[in-house]
Amino acid sequence: MSQQTDPLISSRRSFLKNTAMLGGGLLIGLPLSACATAGFPKAGDKDFQPDAFLQITPDNQVHFYMPRSEMGQGTYTGLTTLIAEELDVEPSAIHVHHVGPLSDYENPEIGFQATGGSTSMRVSFKPLRQAAANARAAILDAAAQQLNLPKAQLTTQNSQVLAKGKAFNYGEFVEVAAQLGVPDETPLKRSNEFKYMGKDMPRLDGVAKSTGTAQFGIDVDFPGLHRAVLVRSPVAGGSVKTVDDSAALAMAGVKKVVTIYNGVAVVATSYWQAKQAALALNIEWNEPEKLASFSSDTGKKWFADALNSGDFEEAFELGDGKDGLEKASKVYSAEYWAPYLAHSTMEPMNCVVKIEEGHCDIWVGCQTPDVARGLAARICDLSIDEVTLHSTFLGGGFGRRFNSDFVAEATEIAKASGLAIQLVWSREDDTRHDFYRPASLARFNVGVDKNGMIESWTAQRAGPNIMPYTLDEVVDGKAPGFMPNGLVDWLSKRGYGLFNGLTVDHSSVEGLYEDYDAVNKDVQHVTVDPGLPVGFWRSVGHSFSGFFKEGMMDEVAHGQKQDSVAYRLAHTKNNPKLNGVIKLAAEKSLWGKPLSKGHFHGVACHNSFESSVAQVAEVSVVNNEIKIHKITCAVDCGFVVNPDIVKAQMESGIIFALSAALHGEITLKDGKVQQSNFHDYPVLRMAQSPEIDVHIVASDKDPSGVGEPGVPPVAAAVANAVFAATGKRLRSLPLSLS
Amino acid sequence: MITFELNGEAVQADVSGDTPLLWVIRDHFKLKGSKFGCGMGLCGACSMMVDGVSTRTCVLPVVAVANRKITTIEGVGNPQMLSTLQQAWVDASVPQCGYCQSGQLISATALLKSNPNPSSEEIDQAMSGNICRCGTYPRIKKAIQSAASKAVLTGQSTQDGGVNIFEPGAQAKEGMA
Repeated sequence: MSQQTDPLISSRRSFLKNTAMLGGGLLIGLPLSACATAGFPKAGDKDFQPDAFLQITPDNQVHFYMPRSEMGQGTYTGLTTLIAEELDVEPSAIHVHHVGPLSDYENPEIGFQATGGSTSMRVSFKPLRQAAANARAAILDAAAQQLNLPKAQLTTQNSQVLAKGKAFNYGEFVEVAAQLGVPDETPLKRSNEFKYMGKDMPRLDGVAKSTGTAQFGIDVDFPGLHRAVLVRSPVAGGSVKTVDDSAALAMAGVKKVVTIYNGVAVVATSYWQAKQAALALNIEWNEPEKLASFSSDTGKKWFADALNSGDFEEAFELGDGKDGLEKASKVYSAEYWAPYLAHSTMEPMNCVVKIEEGHCDIWVGCQTPDVARGLAARICDLSIDEVTLHSTFLGGGFGRRFNSDFVAEATEIAKASGLAIQLVWSREDDTRHDFYRPASLARFNVGVDKNGMIESWTAQRAGPNIMPYTLDEVVDGKAPGFMPNGLVDWLSKRGYGLFNGLTVDHSSVEGLYEDYDAVNKDVQHVTVDPGLPVGFWRSVGHSFSGFFKEGMMDEVAHGQKQDSVAYRLAHTKNNPKLNGVIKLAAEKSLWGKPLSKGHFHGVACHNSFESSVAQVAEVSVVNNEIKIHKITCAVDCGFVVNPDIVKAQMESGIIFALSAALHGEITLKDGKVQQSNFHDYPVLRMAQSPEIDVHIVASDKDPSGVGEPGVPPVAAAVANAVFAATGKRLRSLPLSLS
Repeated sequence: MITFELNGEAVQADVSGDTPLLWVIRDHFKLKGSKFGCGMGLCGACSMMVDGVSTRTCVLPVVAVANRKITTIEGVGNPQMLSTLQQAWVDASVPQCGYCQSGQLISATALLKSNPNPSSEEIDQAMSGNICRCGTYPRIKKAIQSAASKAVLTGQSTQDGGVNIFEPGAQAKEGMA
């Protein structure tokens, strides 16, 4: 039985779908009332606090408690703009706060307080505007009463109520507004009334981030805080067999050496002392056999064997894919490969934990604060009300900080050492102990009818699934406190089996099949998991499927002697958004027009996170070196709140994806990750960055994702340009001609 | 005891001489603007100016800076008084996650100090030691070019004055007047 899936559904949404299947909505329907007020900022007696998001003080300060994490994607500015618009307050005048866990801040598409899946603007667009509009209406009600004027004679402007030519601060009315209560269905502004939305505006966190004053997790400090360095098993999932810590304990500044579930931690007065002492530890490990037997040079065969085994789960069916191939006048077949990838956020993982007198305080920048808090509570044997999580800016997320492993480690170290500690990962730790983008091998068979149109699109993918690894943490972090740890462990481990045989993790196949018109489609999946932890890596399944699908489409177009753009346009009749961005990217890149000598164009497009993106890469190849000169990008992401931030996210996604396309590869030897730092896991630098030209489709549809959708087409656009330049079809990442 | 000049003030640190300057600045002097990124001098998040030269401090033993002048991002400007480059950064919405930007600004400041009107290639070269995972490179370049052209337009020398390295905010204040 195939699992019918909405082609545009995001992977995190399928997380809901999949977890709902697990236990009849167990995760989603967790009782959260116990923590309904925990973590919420306490209002002053006379403040007006209409909901969990807003607070207006008698001295006219407006505070916004931002329900999502700011990790570079621009929520700090974007979500504040929504509030500013409907509350009628200058955006830069609003005090923006990071928040701890609170049920009001849950992400409705993900089911817990998560920042991910390019959902922040999409899920906040109406609720936050509504909250602000209601608050403004309440202020106006209070003003009408206090000034004894009909409400119709009052207007607002920049935190003030205007009445009969006079201006009164909102703050003058907050006490009465708090007593009168808040209307809940206030009409929202029409688009022709927008003052801030839809316009370019500098980022509100720009000053803090240009002066070194923005506080990241790693910057948290207080008297008595110790630093911890953790040495983990070089094979992920291993544990400590024996440890000799005598030399480390004798070193300057070292306070404690503690063994936790996955390694040995040195706790010292300063980071440098802890780091030096960690080198003096002598540890023997228990290593998981399966992963220890995996090496990348031979392990690719694991994936190929799985594809050849025929032991597939059905992931998606439309019409009859196999029959369509038999009836086709020509069938194109190819296999595509993408390796494991690390996230390499600029800020290495870190977390501060202080456990004192039955209370645990955590300071961290992360994408899932409520899961992190739940994990810490379970480790400390405290209720979630006894754990306070303080959020900071994130020095990059890209999905890495969706996992809470570093919070669990820090909590274990604080508990075992009895000291307030800051756990700081080194770059080597970060590269070698990631939740990696899953390696993937896919095989396509695409049948074309006698008119040259695609009759049947079939794909098979072999690789690990993300969901079991995420479930592991989410169940641990969100299961009710009364469940014993053993039961929670058992439940969380069910995920591994569940996605290997029972149901297909949508993020393993998303993007392989949805975008192009074909009457017959068939997608199958086989799980191959050496045991290296995998996770959400910017655009998730689309990060590899965009490359696979768009390379394959180019092969079919070329085989049919069709223009790459025209052939894509002919197969997106039922997909007007994608069709539109292909046209726009082609037009703006001057597709089909002569280029500089030795320069070639390649095109690719992809839908993800409900947005459509098309890109044209201009590339030259000299001595087998691929040089990318320019990427022209067209995006349709619905209504745009801040066009400059959308452009920035496209630039960001493109450069992030180019690092992966040209350099990104994590390899293993006997289960150990071989890369360690930026010399052997290089990322793009300024000199390699191409010119980027972004065009946004004007739209009045609700906003959709922008943080991730810029990523998927990039590698394919470059590879397709390399084919145009050399006639060589690159089907493996990173792209290499030698 | 090691003595050096930190953002214009003479300071002393009683730390082991092999401690990298970065950790002395962050853990001892509690200036958190300079960041830890790689520990191998590869990413530039830890950049500070040592006698005016952008330097990777995660691999620079503090003993090596005895009696030298150190400028961190805190010495370049502050939210109330931005340097010309910082203002250009804000205007172009350069930062995304923001973690690498202190290091980027140090390298850019050092560049304009020695080369007031750099070419695109010279900018690439000067910024090659600074990684940004968010991909803000196009905007960094734009901001450097914008700050350089402002300095040229106003006829200021970028030798200290034009980019206001040591008198942050002077130009921002002029602009407001």
